[in-house]
Amino acid sequence: MLPLLRTPVATPHTLEEALSLLAEPGARILAGGTDILPNLKRGLGSPSTLVSLHAVDALRGVSVGDAGLSIGAGTTLTQVATSGDVKRMAPSLAEAAESVASPQIRNMATLGGNVCLDTRCRWVNQSDFWRGALGGCLKSAGMNPEASFAQAGVCHVVPGGKRCVAAISADTVPVLIALDATARVASASGTHRLPLAELYVNDGVQNLALEPGEMLLGVDVPTHAGARRERYVKWRVRGSIDFPLVSAALRFDLDAGALTQARLVVGVLGARPKQVAVQKVALGRPLDQALATELAELAHRQCKPLENVPYEAGHRRHMLRVLVRRAIEALADEA
Amino acid sequence: MNEPRETPPGARLLSFRLNGEDLSVATADHQTLLELLRYGLDRVGTKQGCDSGECGACTVLLDGRPVLACLTLAVQVEGRDVRTVEALAEREAAALLDAFDRHDAAQCGFCTPGVLMSAEALLMDKRRVVSQGEARAALSGNLCRCTGYTKILDAVVDASEKLVEAADRTREPAS
Amino acid sequence: MTSSDKWQLGGRHRKLGAMERMRGVARYTDDLRLPRMLHAKILRSPHAHARILSIDASRALGMPGVIAVITGSDMPTPYGVIPWTTDENALAIEKALYVGDGVACVAAESEELALRALKGIEVEYEVLPAYFDPEEALAAEETINPYARKGNLSKKVELEFGDVDAALHGAALVIEADYEFHGTTHGAIEPHCALAKVDADGLLTVWSATQVPHYLHRELAKVLETPARQIRVIQPPLGGAFGGKSEPFDLEFCVAKLSQITGRPVKLLYTREEVFYAHRGRHPMKMHYRVGFDASGKLLAVDAKTVLDGGAYSSFGLVTTYYSGQLLCAPYELGAYRFDSRRAYTNKPACGPKRGHGSVQPRFAMEVSLDKAAVELGIDPIDLRRKNAMGEDCLTVNELRVGSNGFLDCLAAVEEASGWKQRRAKLGFGHGLGVAGSTYISGTNYCIYPNDMPQAAVQITLDRSGRARIFSGASDIGQGSDTMLAVIAGEELGLPTEDIRVLSADTDLCPVDLGAYSSRITLMVGNACLEAARKLRKKVTQSVAKRWECSPKQVNLVAREAIDMHDPERRAPLVEAFQWAEADHGLLGEVGSYDTPKDRHGSYRGGAIGASPAYSFTAHVAEVKVDAETGEVGLVKIWCAHDCGTAISRGLVEGQIEGSCYMGAAEVVLESHGVNSEMGGLHHGPSLLDYRMPTTLDTPEIEALIVEAPDARGPHGAKEAGEGPLHSTIPAIVNAIYDAVGVRVDDLPVTPAKLVRALAAQAEKGGV
Repeated sequence: MLPLLRTPVATPHTLEEALSLLAEPGARILAGGTDILPNLKRGLGSPSTLVSLHAVDALRGVSVGDAGLSIGAGTTLTQVATSGDVKRMAPSLAEAAESVASPQIRNMATLGGNVCLDTRCRWVNQSDFWRGALGGCLKSAGMNPEASFAQAGVCHVVPGGKRCVAAISADTVPVLIALDATARVASASGTHRLPLAELYVNDGVQNLALEPGEMLLGVDVPTHAGARRERYVKWRVRGSIDFPLVSAALRFDLDAGALTQARLVVGVLGARPKQVAVQKVALGRPLDQALATELAELAHRQCKPLENVPYEAGHRRHMLRVLVRRAIEALADEA
Repeated sequence: MNEPRETPPGARLLSFRLNGEDLSVATADHQTLLELLRYGLDRVGTKQGCDSGECGACTVLLDGRPVLACLTLAVQVEGRDVRTVEALAEREAAALLDAFDRHDAAQCGFCTPGVLMSAEALLMDKRRVVSQGEARAALSGNLCRCTGYTKILDAVVDASEKLVEAADRTREPAS
Repeated sequence: MTSSDKWQLGGRHRKLGAMERMRGVARYTDDLRLPRMLHAKILRSPHAHARILSIDASRALGMPGVIAVITGSDMPTPYGVIPWTTDENALAIEKALYVGDGVACVAAESEELALRALKGIEVEYEVLPAYFDPEEALAAEETINPYARKGNLSKKVELEFGDVDAALHGAALVIEADYEFHGTTHGAIEPHCALAKVDADGLLTVWSATQVPHYLHRELAKVLETPARQIRVIQPPLGGAFGGKSEPFDLEFCVAKLSQITGRPVKLLYTREEVFYAHRGRHPMKMHYRVGFDASGKLLAVDAKTVLDGGAYSSFGLVTTYYSGQLLCAPYELGAYRFDSRRAYTNKPACGPKRGHGSVQPRFAMEVSLDKAAVELGIDPIDLRRKNAMGEDCLTVNELRVGSNGFLDCLAAVEEASGWKQRRAKLGFGHGLGVAGSTYISGTNYCIYPNDMPQAAVQITLDRSGRARIFSGASDIGQGSDTMLAVIAGEELGLPTEDIRVLSADTDLCPVDLGAYSSRITLMVGNACLEAARKLRKKVTQSVAKRWECSPKQVNLVAREAIDMHDPERRAPLVEAFQWAEADHGLLGEVGSYDTPKDRHGSYRGGAIGASPAYSFTAHVAEVKVDAETGEVGLVKIWCAHDCGTAISRGLVEGQIEGSCYMGAAEVVLESHGVNSEMGGLHHGPSLLDYRMPTTLDTPEIEALIVEAPDARGPHGAKEAGEGPLHSTIPAIVNAIYDAVGVRVDDLPVTPAKLVRALAAQAEKGGV
């Protein structure tokens, strides 16, 4: 067995209890456990308490209101992927949730957990022994400040880099950003909302703009009355049990065949998703082959994958271009 | 030598249903369900292949859904229903085991308990004849290194057919 | 009897013990617990190459629950599975040779406490230059392995048969290229695990997830300096092996030693990461091949130069080095043949035998060369192979004697099943079919350690309840060897397999068997079993004949009955027949043993390595769809026809074929055991996430076609099926990729990036 530290686990039943437990310094949330437990088993992080949310029913469920979809952070990815409401109102979100890891993981992992998924890097997501043999890096030192790594401040992806570039690897995040979702965040002192895009900062050690004690309650995805085409695409080499190697969420709103909104959000580059600036090129145009090629080129130009996850960065960049073009071609055909 | 007398922090009594039986057992906060099943309760049918959620050998059913016991803390199953491979002896599951046996679907058998739990969930969920494609999707979180999956998939489809036949027979009037 | 009389041989059988395994009742090694059992953990080197200056375990020994710590100097006798290359210690003594090399081992009251105690062991290292490339290692001054006698050259074999230079000089076509086979590993889902205890009278029992209990027994005796008679090795049900558990590992020595020291049972279970460090997987090989043909496509000569990347220890490397050349000489007549293979030590986890030991890599180079020649000469690739096929009962260019040979039938079977003739020309760009063929041994003629004793032995007893017990040292690693023995014995004795208990792989209960490797069990242990069963059959039929006053020859034993073949109305229950026989002969027990014929190979030095009593043959056709823009290879279907001599149990043979195809396909497109300088000798991803084994969604449809060319040396004609069907999977897929998109990637794995680069290079060439 891989060792878990003897961290106490709190099992609150209400949101209030959960928030007050989370206010303790060093407390961390345990939701589905599929990200944090492998990390803790490999010595990444040393929380003072784990606040397990499995009994907090208030965090679960998909509901539909006037403003759109509201999904509790504790809703499992299987529930997101199979919800009729999600499939109807945000099909690309269902697509993204369905593509995560494996069936068992999707039955356990939550939407909130995926939104808050820790960044990943091939120099970090290894055992304690492995990272010790390496001598550590920006992220492993940042997560375990007490570790006695000889070169605690080194980045192995970007030599000389001072900021960690571990990659955001959550499948649902690019989609939620592309759909203009907002996050509902709570702490013991109150609740606030922020656009999901603003939840992420450019630091792979800790890429979430959450204060200690804050917790994601859920995400709201606004409704769109008019015509919309959306899709999530990703490259992975194995059909299951795999993280994305590069990913993209696309959303196009149309009025009388002309684009009124366009979003292209790319994942697995650095610590936060990249919003490719496509509006200027796309608005007012039809969704067609020419646009597919142009936006794919734009994505290729603006996005530079790094050697932070497996498989050559150059090829991942090439794949991004192909996936984006093909996705738009397919969406154009749907019309 | 002194044996350690540490009481783990957060040691607690855990109550849950295991294979139809209500259990109350002592557990520690940091103990995984896999550890509890294998080393605490000696239910060794649930296997450990990677201990990191990457192989599916420890798949159990939690409230009817396949989950990974290595990434579930024991405390998370409080009050819930856990089924392991040891429960697969009657009803639908017997058909599944029989199909696996007839098809030679197990070679070394180490991944098989986990595979069976994923298959069992699929058959319970669909309650009809499943396709090869559905079986492939449902078992895509279970690595098998021996079989190339061919006979496993055949066995799952075969078991679903046998179950439908059996259900049809019971529905027919006894004349 | 004639084969038409077989009443269960060649049928389908429920596998012995399968239900127990599936239901979670069977206890694998980690499922065993003993009272007062301690748990052990190994401290491993974080350096790829370092001198160990000092080890101080005093802090660990003072930690709660820690009972004992051992280091290499507690077990100083070197060992090695091949007696000529004893270059390993149970734990490193002078130097650590790769990241993950075992340095010290702790026994504690729990696994958690043992792990914690590892941090209390201080090791002072002097870091040395490390070598990750075999050619750099061969050129280096620094010697990696302290027991090495020729610097970093672990083994060199150079053999020539016929005049290769003259033949190549006169060839109409010479295909010359460099091929590279990356390293891959076994990936059994059960991690290695061992448990040891010492009885009050000093008997040491070791339960281990091993596929070679006998070799473990021998090496334990040697390293622990304990007489073999005081050691018992038991192999519990095994969760896959594929060659990865075919020699002793540090954990077995450690639990045994710690158990001797503490007097308590000790268990050690590897983490998944440690399984990758234990490795002994497929050797990376760099191969330079020149293959010459005449204008009609007849093979004139092969000239092969190979560098093997061996890792830190020899393992089976001496044999691997020979196999990399010796096993290439069938199924084609080569004309003349030369090979020059050099194995280098490097600062990496040691390589060893993985399914298709040593010959999978050269088979890839050879079969791709053939494919290139077929294109150059404008000959259908299947026809080219047919043209060069050797027949049965012939001698290879390196003087191996081949008996039965179903290769042409294999080719015909895959040609037919895949619709090769009708479909191949019609497939559009991106869609292709590829073919390849191969051969493999059914066990090796000579044992790893020289001796004149039989290679396999089986003991069978019958009892008055109408049952048989088979005692066999063979290791059922999931391939179903226990079932194979039950079918063979049951066929003779009239018993269905469920009336037979097979007690295997326990050195106290069973006769010695050398283990599950080199595809030896069906032929060797099967023959031994057949001999013992026939002796018992004779006793039983004699006793029946005596009572029926007829000739024993007319008594048949079938399906729990003795039957008079001249008067089928006259029958007796088998249980009664057994009782008559026990009354006549006393307790019914017989032994059978098997040794290899020694006239199957040449007399030159090394001529016996690669020699086997019988050879299996295989042909594959693979169908792929290649996305030329992304470089992704979609595996559509694999047809594999395998000549296993005689299928003793069809489902088991199919299972071996299917599993082999799966494992080979994974080596082409997904798996890579990456340890190199890029990460300073650290394994690229010692986990089942990063070492990407195919899931159900990545595995193509596989159609297993059984071809039977019975061999006079096999039991009922049977040959191997467990390893042969892997070989040509790989080149068949690579050749199909070429058929689909017209480019070749000669260095494995075929990653999307490599394929896109190859396509781009071709487009550029085409544009000039």
